[in-house]
Amino acid sequence: MTAYLESLAVLCAIAAILASSLDLVLGFAGIFSVAHAVFFGIGAYAASLVALHLTASLAFALAVAMAAGAGAGLLLAVPALRVREEYFVVASLGFQVVATTVFEQWQAVTGGIGGLTGIPPPTVAGLKVESYAGMAALSVLLAGAVLAGLRALVRSRLGRALQALNQDEVAAQAAGHNPVTLRTLAVVVSCSLASVGGVIYAFFSSFVNPESFTLDESVRVMVMVIMGGAGTTAGPLLGALFVTLFPALLSFLTIPDQFLGPIQRLAYGLIVVVLMVYEPDGMVGLARRLRRLRALAPAGKPGESTA
Amino acid sequence: MKAQLEISSLSKAFGGNAVLDRVDLEVAACAVSAVIGPNGAGKTTLFNAISGFVPPDRGQITLEGVELVGMPPHRIAELGVGRTFQNLRLFPRLTVLENVLVALDRTERRQSRRRRQVQARALLERAGVSASPDTFASDLSFAEQKFVSLARALACGHRILLLDEPGSGLDPPSLERMYALVRSLAAEGRTILLIEHNLDVVRELAERVVFLDRGRALARGTPAQVFASPEAANSYFGGEPEP
Ligand SMILES: Nc1ncnc2c1ncn2[C@@H]1O[C@H](COP(=O)(O)OP(=O)(O)O)[C@@H](O)[C@H]1O
Ligand SMILES: [Mg+2]
Repeated sequence: MTAYLESLAVLCAIAAILASSLDLVLGFAGIFSVAHAVFFGIGAYAASLVALHLTASLAFALAVAMAAGAGAGLLLAVPALRVREEYFVVASLGFQVVATTVFEQWQAVTGGIGGLTGIPPPTVAGLKVESYAGMAALSVLLAGAVLAGLRALVRSRLGRALQALNQDEVAAQAAGHNPVTLRTLAVVVSCSLASVGGVIYAFFSSFVNPESFTLDESVRVMVMVIMGGAGTTAGPLLGALFVTLFPALLSFLTIPDQFLGPIQRLAYGLIVVVLMVYEPDGMVGLARRLRRLRALAPAGKPGESTA
Repeated sequence: MKAQLEISSLSKAFGGNAVLDRVDLEVAACAVSAVIGPNGAGKTTLFNAISGFVPPDRGQITLEGVELVGMPPHRIAELGVGRTFQNLRLFPRLTVLENVLVALDRTERRQSRRRRQVQARALLERAGVSASPDTFASDLSFAEQKFVSLARALACGHRILLLDEPGSGLDPPSLERMYALVRSLAAEGRTILLIEHNLDVVRELAERVVFLDRGRALARGTPAQVFASPEAANSYFGGEPEP
């Protein structure tokens, strides 16, 4: 049971990293990307290759993975953002399809459909982290670092400029900001951070294959962001926790296995549609409403205000 | 008098409709100049061409001798061209302070974060914004929003300030505040070009005026000269009343 909880913690940490990094692009910069799983995958493959062939050092794997994620992000952003950011979603879809094919077919590097196996546990400052508890602690620490970094970034002038650009592109340009540079930077940072999730995933599961990095996964991350509340710092974390823990909750109900997948997908679809129509700020927006209601409650005690 | 901004033979057509037609304009340094003309005369398009949002079909625009045509808007802003918009275009979900910081983040990027904050507050005070700097821009009244947009333009307009209808939508007290601000900016040597179709504003503020009608600069001189010219008189006093 503890191993189960510890592995849930790792999955939550990964999801939080993916959702929060996507939110920089989706929520703050207003760019829709359905290729986030690609950068998750690039991080995972980069870490696996480093660990299998060079060293199991976590720091080194992180450095290589983040560089690879940033490079791949640049590869997507530079051509896609030269036109108009509205086309980005289409470009990212193409990127996702191409990347999935590369993961599946580039046998020599990715191991093809079978993937890469036997990835050793990571070492941190020379110590091997083998236990689930160790991995869980490490994952939560890394997620905390990524989320703190993103929070600082959103509050920095880059974050301010991205929000300005998203709210009024013409006014942002008139204030001296280059939209293409800003958006490219946002995509690159976001992709680089997504690859951190991939590093954790590779070391945790000790094998990677293309199935984990498909369009489905990209959509799942997008659902987390929208569900939690795009363009907020708490939203993606809430969304990530919900989407990761929801299947675990479902498993307590005795639903036959073959229905679990479809039920989940239906539930996500419904929740996202309802939220987009009634509460675009997602769970964070709902929480704000509750707080406002509670703030109003004392004044509205029955009997006191009859007018 | 030295010209800060020189526009020569500037033309722009939208789908065969000439909106700017061989416009010549010299904006004197350290003074307030105005472009007047009826709605649809091409005044805002002229600003859009200067600030890089609308590429002209022909003609030159030089700022202190530097050609602006072909430069992207953000480069022109970095050169010290600050502008406001007729419809303000504040960042609605940023605070008042952040709206100004967005501009200072570029123009004063070598300064410390702390310094920029101080400067943003000073600019807001300068523009007479009394709302709390932490209010969201969209929560302000129109007049307050207008002064925030002036503060934001001040943050990047150290070479020239382009004000698109600074008087429109302001009640008399706010109008007086705006006059005082523009006069004090001029007094400290700022170069200001404003657009108006309200002649009172021009009479109050401008030293030199160009009258634009259907994309053509038809008259120029002091406000009194231009108001007395047959072209302007015809358009303003003989034509249809302004909507
Ligand atoms: N981007 C555009 N596309 C097509 N027509 C435009 C565009 N911008 C302005 N116009 C037209 O150019 C003319 C002048 O507009 P504008 O410069 O806004 O006038 P003013 O500011 O003097 O009222 C108007 O007839 C307007 O419809
Ligand atoms: Mg106009």
